This record gives sequence, C-alpha cells and structure tokens, in this order.
Amino acid sequence: MILRVSGLSAGYAGKHVVHDVTLEVAEGEAVTIIGSNGAGKSTLFRAMLGMLKTATGAVDFDGASIRKVPTHKIARRGLAYVPAERHLFPQMSVIENLQLGAFPGRADPEVERLVFGLFPRLAERRKQAAGTLSGGEQQMLAVGRALMSKPKVLMLDEPTTGLAPRLAAEAYEALATLRDGGLTLVVAEQQVPMALELASRGYVIENGRFELHGTSAELAGNPDVQRAYLGVA
Amino acid sequence: MRSAVFDGVVLGLQYGLLGVGLTLIYGLAGVLNLAHGQIAVLGAIVVALTIDAGVPAFPAALLGIVVAGAFLLLLELTLMRAVYRQEGERRVLLGLLLMLGIAFVIDGFLVWRYPIEQLGLRIGGDAVPILGVRMTTGSLLASGITIAAGLVLVVFFRSTSLGRGVRSVIQDEEGARLCGVSPAAARTLVFAMSGVLAGLVGVTRSMTSPIGVNNTISFTILALIVAVVGGLGSVSGAFLAGVLLGVVDRLSSFYIGTYVTTIVLLLCAAITILARPSGLLGRPT
Repeated sequence: MILRVSGLSAGYAGKHVVHDVTLEVAEGEAVTIIGSNGAGKSTLFRAMLGMLKTATGAVDFDGASIRKVPTHKIARRGLAYVPAERHLFPQMSVIENLQLGAFPGRADPEVERLVFGLFPRLAERRKQAAGTLSGGEQQMLAVGRALMSKPKVLMLDEPTTGLAPRLAAEAYEALATLRDGGLTLVVAEQQVPMALELASRGYVIENGRFELHGTSAELAGNPDVQRAYLGVA
Repeated sequence: MRSAVFDGVVLGLQYGLLGVGLTLIYGLAGVLNLAHGQIAVLGAIVVALTIDAGVPAFPAALLGIVVAGAFLLLLELTLMRAVYRQEGERRVLLGLLLMLGIAFVIDGFLVWRYPIEQLGLRIGGDAVPILGVRMTTGSLLASGITIAAGLVLVVFFRSTSLGRGVRSVIQDEEGARLCGVSPAAARTLVFAMSGVLAGLVGVTRSMTSPIGVNNTISFTILALIVAVVGGLGSVSGAFLAGVLLGVVDRLSSFYIGTYVTTIVLLLCAAITILARPSGLLGRPT
C-alpha cells in the first residue's frame, strides 16, 4: 500500500468533521471518494496533508508515517494534491506555475512535454498569467503543476468543479491517460458516473464517515448510490 | 534644473533600495517594518565604528551589512514567531507594535551610546561630467551599487527556483505549500535579505552624505512612502517609485525649499493611495 489512512478524525476548532476514516490505496490504482457537498472530502484531504492541527489517527505514505510531517515536506515526498480551489499563483505565468510544481528543483523538460501533451492549451498560453485563464484551463494548470513534481500519488478534490460538462469530460480523459500511464490517483467527486468509470474502487463518505466501500461496479449497482448520486429513481 | 533631476535620480535609487526592503517583508509576512530606517543606520554605525577601529572601509562595510542582516534574521527567528501565531488584523497590529518598539530600542541605544557617531564614506576621484552635470564619484558608485543590487533582486525573483518560491508564498501560501515551498523558510530568508538591503542603504547613502542617528526616522518614513507609492510587495515598483520620488524631492527643494520636501513626498503617497491604492506596479488584490 503506498497510501494508508487509519482511524483518521479531523476538523476545525475542536469539532470533528471527519470521523474514524480508514483508506488504503495500492500503487498504480485509481480510487475515488464519493460524497456530496460538505460530506468531509476536502477536510479528509487536508488532514492527510498535515493542514489540520486537530487531526488524530495514522497516515502512512510510501512506507513512513506523515502524520507529523509539514505539508510542504509531504509534497516533496511525492504526495501531490490538487485542491478544488486550485490555489494557483494568479500573477505568475503558466510556465512559472509549472516550474514551481517542480520546486525546489528545476522543471524536468520531459515532464513538461508530458504536461503540454496532455493539455495543449497550456502550451499555447505558456506566457499568460494564470489568473487570466478560463476555469477549465486553470484546472488543467493545477493538474499540470502537480504533475511537475513527478508525484507518486496524485490526489484531486472535485477536479470538475465549475467546469462545463464537455470540459469535465476532457479533464477525466486526461486523468484516465495518467492512470493508464501507471500514476496512482485518488479523486474525490460529486460527479459520480465519471469518477466510477475512472476508478477501480471507491468509498462513499457521508457526514464525515465512510459508509460504503467497494469496486466501482459494486458501487454503481448499489441502490443507495444510484439514488443519491446517479440520479436513478 | 538638470542637476536637480540628476541628484534626484541618485537620491531616488537610495529611496528605492530603502523601499524594497520594507515592501518585501510586508508582502511576505504582512508585517510593516517600522524599524527599517533604524536598522539601516545601525548598520552604518557599525561600519563607522569598525573603520574607527582601524579596519579598511570595504571589509568594514561588509561587516555593517552582515550585522544589519543578522539583526533582522534573529528578530524573525525569535520575537516575530509570536506575531505569526496571530491572524488577520491582530497579526498586523502586533507586528506594527513590535517593530515600532524595536525602532525605539535602536534609536534609544544609538542616542545613548553613539549620539554623534556618523558614517561618511568619502570616495576619492574627480567629479565626472555626465550630460553636462558634474557627478561626484561617490554618487556614481552609490548608484552603481544600488542598480546592481536591484538587478540581482530582479534576477533572483524572476529566474531562480528559490526566488520563485518566495513569490509563490506572497501570491498563495497554501498553493506554495502544496508545491513543496516552506512559507516559514521563505519568511526567514526575506527578513535576512531585507536586513542586508537596509545595511546596504546605510553604506551607499553615506557615500553622498553622512549618516547618523538623526536619519533613522526619516529613513523609515521614506521607506514607507516609497513602498506605498511603488505598490506593497513589488520590487520593481519600489525602485520606480524611489526614483520618481527622489526627483520630486530634489525638484521641490530646488524650486520651493528643503523644508517642504517631506510634505510633498507625503502628498505623493496620499495621492497614490487615493488614485491607485495598489501602487504604481502593485497588483490589486
């Protein structure tokens, strides 16, 4: 297991939002975490990355505990995260944002080619300030920036937030390409059909707890999941 | 008139160097360093005392610059930690009060121990005519060093991985963390850099006019004005504003009188705040 979370509880100002979560991700696997708005998906990610001081439980990544490791060191170890808000550097150009993804090193030209191959639009706008990009382009840049660090695991929080359906589909095509290339993915989503198609396994989070767990086929066939997330009456 | 403009550019480059140090710390840590001028003068006094002790000017100047850098570095590693624990308005206010306190401490110490100590680096050589204006070698050397320092800063922030890392913290701290940048390390680095820049002003400014304890407050005020006009957090903005304000300073003292220059400069800052709150090259947030 490259990523293992056990008994993780976390929240803000002493109030837990995520309760006793256990999650395992094997190398090369694509896993999805399904949940509605406010179910605790972002909080879970933030707790895993050491951004929440109140977290309790264990988080192991690549053979070592990262529970007490500062966020920037976790990123350098190869656990990349693309938050829903993206957190790009708005006044810096596309290329500078990508270069920062490789911090503290220099950008690897091969990874840069891979990113531009995946998102040709970014290559066209390499000199443009990130803040002036469209929502879809910003999402591409956020994923591209995360890839520049050559991560072992890429975690994404609602990568399709605010995107038109066609762009959302494009984003998932890119993620599928990365999955097929052997990258380990963890994707939190409300857009359940696309997420289940991408991932081989999934967890369902409700009110901060993992309520269900199974293969994508099992989840897609589950009546509760169908009712809540797939729009099946 | 032409010589007033040239003097203004020489002076303005110094103003820019003052403003840059202040603007960097504000951009990165949200702290307005009200002791910036005091630290510049502290560095200059160290240089003067070292020269008095018989050390040649160049190593003495380096020592003064290092001491100024080390002073802010130590401050960042100790007292500033209490400031960072606060958020928002409390952080701004606490930072402001802390730096104001430091300013008083330095001022008090200098007035007590070195009330008449001054640093005046005399650079030999004849005045050089430039476009018909005779420029002293001191002012040319001071300007050359300042321009070089400005260029080093621009290259550092634009083209090095570390410099980009520091800028990333200014723009989005959480994004910086996710890229592997440590905001705490970036702040420490920038405090040390700002101290070095303050020390450098102390040295270069003394090449054109002597510097002593009387200069502390006016240096801090000038740094503030330059940072506001240039746009808080912008390196090139600080230099642009510095040069413009230097020229305004010399022209107003040439045409009106020395006693009004500070008022005119403050007016420039006020007009900037009204017309362009983010400064000349600062970006609206």
